[in-house]
Amino acid sequence: MANPQISLGVSATPGPDLPGPFAVGRYAKKLKGWMRERPRVLLIGEVTGVGRSKVQAYFELRDGEGAVPCAIWLRDLERAGLPDGALRDGAEVVIAGGLDYYEGGGTASPNFCFRATHVRLAGEGDLLARLEALRTQLRAEGLTTLQKQLTRSALPKTIGVVTAEGGAARRDLLAGLERRGWGGTVVWAFAPVQDRHAAPAIARALQDLAARPEIEAIVVTRGGGSLADLWAFCDETLCRTVAMLRVPVVSAVGHERDTTLIDDVAAVACSTPTHAAEAAVPLDCRGARRELGRQALFLRRGADGAIGARARHLGSLARGPARALQRQRTILNQKTREIRAASERGIAERGAFQRRIATIVLERTRRRALDRAERAGEKRRRHGAALDSAAERAVAQRREALRQAAVALRAHDPERTLERGYALAETPDGEPLTSAAAVAAAGRFSLRFSDGRVDARTAADPGPGAGGDQGDR
Amino acid sequence: MTDSAPANYEAAVERLEEIIDRLDSGQAGLRETLDLCREGKELVDYCAGELDAVGEGLKELNLDDLAAKLDSSASPGS
Repeated sequence: MANPQISLGVSATPGPDLPGPFAVGRYAKKLKGWMRERPRVLLIGEVTGVGRSKVQAYFELRDGEGAVPCAIWLRDLERAGLPDGALRDGAEVVIAGGLDYYEGGGTASPNFCFRATHVRLAGEGDLLARLEALRTQLRAEGLTTLQKQLTRSALPKTIGVVTAEGGAARRDLLAGLERRGWGGTVVWAFAPVQDRHAAPAIARALQDLAARPEIEAIVVTRGGGSLADLWAFCDETLCRTVAMLRVPVVSAVGHERDTTLIDDVAAVACSTPTHAAEAAVPLDCRGARRELGRQALFLRRGADGAIGARARHLGSLARGPARALQRQRTILNQKTREIRAASERGIAERGAFQRRIATIVLERTRRRALDRAERAGEKRRRHGAALDSAAERAVAQRREALRQAAVALRAHDPERTLERGYALAETPDGEPLTSAAAVAAAGRFSLRFSDGRVDARTAADPGPGAGGDQGDR
Repeated sequence: MTDSAPANYEAAVERLEEIIDRLDSGQAGLRETLDLCREGKELVDYCAGELDAVGEGLKELNLDDLAAKLDSSASPGS
């Protein structure tokens, strides 16, 4: 604040070249007037150290950066119409007023304050405006990305948690961790989560947890509430602390619709403590155990299978020649069977064919034979008839010839000649003597007549005494 | 095969999945398959150890108690 130029018409003698010295009482009065002439403004902050006298209430209005002593006349406070007890420590309020100064007196102490004439509880709009301004500032400084660049372990063995000791968030977080099958170590750092002490306490707890090397992630969590209730988590100092930690911070403050500034600077912002558990321990341990068992089984089978498959392959290769031979043998047998079957089929077919041909040939032969026989029969019948006719004719001819021959023969029969009185000279043996010489030569002979024989002898024959017999003549 | 232990669980799982993908592809020869299986079993043992470390039930400690214990152990009279 600039030094007020108050001229009292007295020149300064000792000391530096400054105006004065002035009478302090008069200076105080001038100071009081000057302050009251300053422009009236609205201030927003958290109420602390509330006290009352008979005529006024006094308190400090502060935030993370500083504080101003404030006072309000009781009549102005009553006119503000705040609920009973609303002006209390920790309340976020907006006050309207200006600078004021009580110059004191001979025994009374002087006092500076911001004289509030109006007061109201801070609304969402007031807080959101402050929140947005802080967010813009932190973002501009690059503090919202630092945590997000940290590496988070999928399976931390130890995590730190900052929360209220008796809050539901603690229970929900534990349930979430157990649901993931995680049985590591939780280091609790309990801290108030809603008042002007909360932000410094939370920041201190975070620093203490981050200082422990075994802690791999930190969860900051509390249940839902109004923005004023959650305002500690929008504290600038706290958010700067979080941004600078080496351990990733998971924030889960309020409900899904609540967005506090710590969510901006944390590594992960979650809507509920349950989600915070999943973010702090990204690995679902139950699922991971099942998957690991499956992978172990796969590897065991992989090794055994690789050897087994190759052994089988080798065995298969070793059996190849024999299998090939067997295959060829099988093919050969099959062919043989096929040939045999085909042969039998061929033979049967040929037999059938031949039988058919033979039948046909025989039938034709039979028919031809029958035809021939029939023709022969017919011929025979014709020849027979001719023969019969010829025979009859021949017989008739022969009979005629025979008759003629008989007639001729009869005509030449000596007997017939004898019958006509002729005699036939014959030797005693019956041989005919056909000449006189033959009779003379025979001497003795027979004359056969048709009615008997007569022995005779030639005259030259001597007779019986001359050696011939004449008695038979 | 890696010559050193895995940096952490995530690295072990990542390598394990690489190994399984390689084995799944069927392109690894016998020697490589055996090496990969041996490495994979080591990784499975490591991961199982990590899971066992967080598998014996949740333990709760209080930061204030830890700090007090630390202070008492640091004190020469304790």
